[in-house]
Amino acid sequence: MVGGVSIIKDREKVMENVATDENWKNCFSQLAPGLLLFARQWARSTADAEDIVQEAFVRFWRKQHDIANRGLLYATVRSIALDFLRRDSRRARRESTAVSEMDQTVQPLFEIEDESQRALVAALDLLPNEQREVLVMKIWNELTFAEIASALEISQNTAASRYRYALAALKKNLPAV
Amino acid sequence: MNDFSELESQLRKLRPVQPSADLMTRVERALTEARHGESLHRGKRSTSTAAVLPRERRFHFNWLSLGLGLAAAAALVLFARVQLERPVKKTQPVASITPAPQFSSPTSTAQFVPAGLTQVVYHTRDEGVHFPNNSQQPMRRVRSHTRDTLQWRNPTTGASLRISYPSEEVSLVPVTGQ
Repeated sequence: MVGGVSIIKDREKVMENVATDENWKNCFSQLAPGLLLFARQWARSTADAEDIVQEAFVRFWRKQHDIANRGLLYATVRSIALDFLRRDSRRARRESTAVSEMDQTVQPLFEIEDESQRALVAALDLLPNEQREVLVMKIWNELTFAEIASALEISQNTAASRYRYALAALKKNLPAV
Repeated sequence: MNDFSELESQLRKLRPVQPSADLMTRVERALTEARHGESLHRGKRSTSTAAVLPRERRFHFNWLSLGLGLAAAAALVLFARVQLERPVKKTQPVASITPAPQFSSPTSTAQFVPAGLTQVVYHTRDEGVHFPNNSQQPMRRVRSHTRDTLQWRNPTTGASLRISYPSEEVSLVPVTGQ
């Protein structure tokens, strides 16, 4: 966990640097994969997820909030993604496409290297949305439970509980682990 | 949490896919445009809050006032032109054009030479008989308003320059006894 702590410290350092305006690229390049994965939960395609991330990051930056308030950044992504999903859903209905497609769970996109990782991703796909989003924020975005709670407007205990339930469900679905 | 440490480790080994190469460019462009937009509207904003941007102040233009103002200005200009250019019936306007000698220099292209002087007397008023400087000789004082126009011309380029200004002249005319 020492490596994880150093990564978090590095990330916080990057966040502080971003407050100096022009270093936003460093911050964004580090955060973008996690943000994209987070947004991908509601978007049907990577392109849509990128649109969401772009809009959220620009909106967040324009408001000049404290960049250390990562919970707000993810809350912005989530809010825009849900708006996008609603618009997309209405568009889909207008175009008479199958509504059931919208209810399908969208798989997070990972660079899968072996079969065990493929099984892990498949197990992730089976998680309830509320558990999966906490897991995504915790594992691949390295948010604290306080930041997750802030982003999702839930208590820290609820965030921690969902995380534990998610891990338990994953473990149950992955007998090899 | 120790029960899940191995699972967490495996999860962390999963790498999310990288965003496309142009996402950074798009964000940069959007930020630049947003910054440009903010600089344009900065003067209109009062304070900024976290969640709600203040409503921009709208510039309410009073078209009625503008119309009345323009109408008044136009009337004033027309009135002034009429007053200045209308010939006075009492007196004959006297106009004289003095052609100026040409002092052109064939070597210079930026030299203006006098092209003429026009003097228009548009108003003359007889102010009655006076005895200026305790003079015994009665004098009739006549006040004339004129407009003098000086004109220069560049013979090489054909450009012309004209200066016009109003002037007032008071002349004393001896009264001859009959």
